[in-house]
Parts: sequence; C-alpha cells; structure tokens
Amino acid sequence: MSRIVLDSVTKQFPDGTTAVQSLDLEVGDGELLVLVGPSGCGKTTALRMVAGLEEVTSGSIYIDDRPVNDVEPRHRDIAMVFQSYALYPHLSVYDNMAFSLKYRKVAKSEIRQRVAEAARILELEPYLARKPRQLSGGQRQRVAMGRAIVRQPRAFLMDEPLSNLDAKLRVQMRAEIAQLQRSLGTTTIYVTHDQTEAMTLGTRVAVISGGVLKQAAAPQELYRRPANLFVAGFIGSPPMNLVDAAIERGDGGLTVVFGPHRLGVPAAVIAEHPALERHIGGQIVLGVRPENLHDAALVHDSDPAAIIELPVRLREELGSEVHIHGAIGTAAHVSGSESDDVHSLATMVARMDPRTAIREGQTARVQVDTTALHFFDRATGESIRR
Amino acid sequence: MTAAPAAPAGPASAARPGGATPPGHGWAASRLRKKMSTWVLFTLMVIVAIVMLYPFWYLVDNAFRSPGQFDRQSGHALSGWKELFANLPVGSQLINSTLVCVAAIAIILVVSTTAGFAFAKLRYRGSGTVFLLVVSALMVPLQSIIIPEYVNLAKIGLTNSYAGAVLVYAALGTPFATFLMATYYRGISDELIEAAVIDGLGYERTFLQIALPLSLPAIATVTVLQFIQIWDDLLVGLLFLPASQRTITAGLATLSAGRTTSIPALMAGSLISALPAIGVYLIFQRHLVKGLTLGMGK
Repeated sequence: MSRIVLDSVTKQFPDGTTAVQSLDLEVGDGELLVLVGPSGCGKTTALRMVAGLEEVTSGSIYIDDRPVNDVEPRHRDIAMVFQSYALYPHLSVYDNMAFSLKYRKVAKSEIRQRVAEAARILELEPYLARKPRQLSGGQRQRVAMGRAIVRQPRAFLMDEPLSNLDAKLRVQMRAEIAQLQRSLGTTTIYVTHDQTEAMTLGTRVAVISGGVLKQAAAPQELYRRPANLFVAGFIGSPPMNLVDAAIERGDGGLTVVFGPHRLGVPAAVIAEHPALERHIGGQIVLGVRPENLHDAALVHDSDPAAIIELPVRLREELGSEVHIHGAIGTAAHVSGSESDDVHSLATMVARMDPRTAIREGQTARVQVDTTALHFFDRATGESIRR
Repeated sequence: MTAAPAAPAGPASAARPGGATPPGHGWAASRLRKKMSTWVLFTLMVIVAIVMLYPFWYLVDNAFRSPGQFDRQSGHALSGWKELFANLPVGSQLINSTLVCVAAIAIILVVSTTAGFAFAKLRYRGSGTVFLLVVSALMVPLQSIIIPEYVNLAKIGLTNSYAGAVLVYAALGTPFATFLMATYYRGISDELIEAAVIDGLGYERTFLQIALPLSLPAIATVTVLQFIQIWDDLLVGLLFLPASQRTITAGLATLSAGRTTSIPALMAGSLISALPAIGVYLIFQRHLVKGLTLGMGK
C-alpha cells in the first residue's frame, strides 16, 4: 500500500521535445488514478518515469514519501503491465508469473502458493504449463496481470493494458481489472487514450494534453464541471458541442447569443457562474452536452426562451437513442492550439429520445437544458466560474 | 517471374471458335497459368540443383578410384584413401580444424551476442557510430589486411600457434555476427527487456535470462555460417599455423603441392573435410532458415 507523488515533474528528450511539463499529481493509497489523453500527450512517459524506465529531467517523484528519482526500477517495488503484455515467450505461464519472485529470493513454497492464488483469481489454473504463444489475447492479458499480482508490489502501473484486445473482451477485462484492483486495494496508475475506459475505471481521472495536466478529478466532476475547453471536448461521447458565443444583458438576466440563436441564462446558473458578469458584451465559448438538447415536441413544459431551431443534416439511429446533427448557422468554435484535438464542427449533436420524429431535411425545434450550460473564456480556454 | 503462355482471359477467349464459354472459365485459365509457372519454376530448380550437385557427385565418385581408373573414368578402388592416409595426418588435422573452429566460434558468439545486445538495447551516446564502424569492417576483404595482421601477430609472438589463427578467425567473423545479432535483438520488443528490468533483473541478467535464450535461432545461424567459413578457410590456416597444427583444409592444399598430384587422394580428403560442415548444417538447418529470414515479417 502506498502513495505516489509527482512534484512538478518535467521530461525533456535529448532532441528537445518536452513530453511532460511540470506535472503535479498525487495518487492516494489504494487509489486507481487514470492518466488519459490523446496519443503523444505524455501520459505514457509520465508512467514510465514513475516506473524508472525514463529519467526525470526536473522535479521529483516520491513513492511513500521517499524520493525515487535516482532509484533503479527494480528497487522501486512496483509492477508494470505493458501494452504488449511483454510475457517471456520462452517461459511457461507459471514461470512467467514466478519469474520476479525467483530473483527476489522468495522461498519456493511461497512462490508456489502465490502463483496458485493469482492463477485461481485470474482463472488461469488450466494454463499454467502452457507457453504464452498457446494462449488467447485475453489469457495473455491475464498472465500479465498475474505477473504483477504475485509480486504484491507497492503499486501497479498499467500502460494501455487493454488496447490489444477486441472490443467485447476489452469491456469484460475492464470490469475484471476494476474488481481486482478494488479487492486488492493496491495503488494503481492506469494509462489509456480511451475516455470510456478512463471514466469507468478511475477513482480519479487526470486528463493530459501536450504534456500538461489539464484537470484531475473524479469522473463525474470531470464530466459535469470540465475545467477547460480541452477537457470539455475530450471527455464525453459524442463530445460536448462548443460554439463561439456572446454574452448580452437582456431583460431581467443574461442571454447567450450564437449565430441566429438566443438563449436565456437562468438565474441559478448565473449565481453558479458569477464570473460571467465580467464577460458581458464580450465573446465566450458556449458548451452544451448532446444529452442536454431535447426534441421540444417531447418536452412537457417547454420554455420558449430555451428553444433553438436547427436544420437537420443527419439522423443517426443507435437503438436506445438517436443522434440529431443540426446546422447551427454559425462557425463552430476552433481554438488555435487545440484545433486538432477538440472535435469542432459547424453542427450541434443532440442525443435524443428514440421516439423523436425529427427527420433529415426538417428544421428541428430543439429544447436546450439551460441549467446545464458550460461557459469558457475564449482567450484562455478556461472555464468561467468564479 | 516467368510468363507462361496461357489462354487470354475475358472477351478474347469468349470469341474463340468453339462457342460458349463455360462458367468459371477465367478461373480455370488462371489455374492453368499457375500450374504452368509452377512447372517452369520446378524445371529451373532441377537444373540448378544438378549444376550444384554434380561437383559433389564427381567428388564422391572419383574419391573411390585409383589414378589409372581416374584417367579412364571407369572402375572403383580404395587406393586413393590409402594414399591420403599415408601422406596426411588426417585424424590430427581434423582435430586441429575442430579446435580452431570451436575456439574461434566461441569467441565470436561471446562478443557478438553481448555487443549485439548492447547496440540494440542499451543505446548510448555515439552507439550508432560505433555500430557503423563495426559494420564497415564487413567490407574489408581478408586478403587486403592479412599481411599487416601477420606482422601484428608476429610482434606479439602469436604466429605459428592455434591462438594466432583463432584470434584472426574471431576478428574476421565478429563484425558480421555482431550485425546479425544486433538485428535480431532489435526485433525483441523493448517492453520485454523493460519487464525483466522491473521484475528485478539487472541488464546483465536480463541479457542472460531473457535475450540469450530468445536469440537461439540467430546463434545457430552465426554458428553454422562461421563454422563453414572457418572450416573451409585456407589462407589463415596456411599462414598462421605450423605444419604440426595445420587444419584439414590447409593440409589438403599441401597434398597437391608435390610434383605429382593424386586426384583421387585429394578427392578423398576433400570428402572427409566436407562432411563435418555438412553435418553442422544439417543439425542447425531448421534454426538457420528461421534465423536468416528474421525480421522479414511478423
């Protein structure tokens, strides 16, 4: 059981690229922290620095309050699960799991007992004598987990351990890893580029982009109160609709204006976002989650001040829901440095009830849940709150 | 590829006299083409095999003739063998060859596996340049450096001894072996090495416990190639070894240096000297193929 702290950790490669920039992060005892971000964002480099596979350029890493910058990987007492599983191909499943214990001079009887226990938990008992090449992808993944478990390390480090599995198996293994981590209570850092994996697994999720920590919070907090445009656009599927908008003072309150559309901002929302006042007459970025856009025809007491009309470009049937892509009549928000990462289209996507009668080519009357609007500073990309 | 004559497909074949095209005609034509090209290839390979095997047959056939029978090219006798054993210490020369081969290959393997692993997995400043230097040594022909090499070894008193020949063979074989091993180790994923490091092994033990067992095919390849090269080498054996320590190949060369040369005796000696190389090849053949095609795909 242990605590891992990254104190303004920076990694710069010899070619000058900065992979991680003064990263501050704390992983509590028994916590499962997920590092998530697009590929090349520095999340794997951060994990490798904790493992000791990459040197830290500046800053410090602590495992249980002990600085480990200069400690060799083998003396950090951590176990790592690799994307490729990295099983020793010439050793049997049993020997793969027992490998590190043998070199740590654990008694033979204890090795046997620990491997048997891990094999039981992971349902690997029938395969102990097999070589990795004789196993399926899911079984190999389990052996990689088993190799980490038998060590009883201070922490697990997992680098995209599910990305080589097919979609169905990935969902199953995701649940298994979550259960296993909770029952063992071992501090874990888990790296993934898949936001669903991040949200479902993490006690806390740290979103990283361009080597910089964008936000670290519990999954719900991250979803409900994204701290900036990057997190808003990255977490959620389909992603949050982001449009350039203006704030105006209307009769008795504030109004958000984007293209031909006007939305009244409820008093409760203004109270929650006092900083909005400072942006009156100025430009902001408005964020609306797809599930906060409803078919006005299906809403009982629809509010005329919160209805916008969108020409429908596309209707996507998903069975349990319908995605309506409506043209917003103005340019979608594109932020300079993040334009590649943030999903920006000149349409708004609404996740609607499957009973909706809205069809392509029609103009949809869309009820916006104005209590769930997000506002961002257009210059800084930060959320406008206090 | 050989272009086998085949019926043109498509509309042209449909217009042929004889009427309607049966369904699946295009498929049949392509199968015919494939069959024809297989036959052409097979015939070519048989011709190449005959060209390669005929000298070997000639060697075996004439090893069992007397000089007279060799001239007439008829009849068989064992006189060539008697002459060979009377004029050449075949047994001790085979032992000499084996000693030199084993010692040189041992050195080559130790150096090339460790150096190859270091080049592939322990990247350090300037390692690329060093690797390039090692590989460039591949391009230096033996004949161009053999005299300086002789002078160097003479200065430290290593000529006329096994040690001198072994060192020269090792030095000549190591660059290629290192290149091959480094290529092989590059094919082993970095994550596997890192997993071992995290599991508690230092780089030395990672090499011994993980990398070395995984590189057995490459080691077999190096062993076979170097064995054939060293066993068959004449120049180094003649230059660096005294008469009492000559290898079989060098010994055979002296056999033909007399005023009259008995071809059957020479053939018998050549046959004996060829057998160990063939044996080693057959033993390691399966690994050899695996090793030579490494890195060609998944």
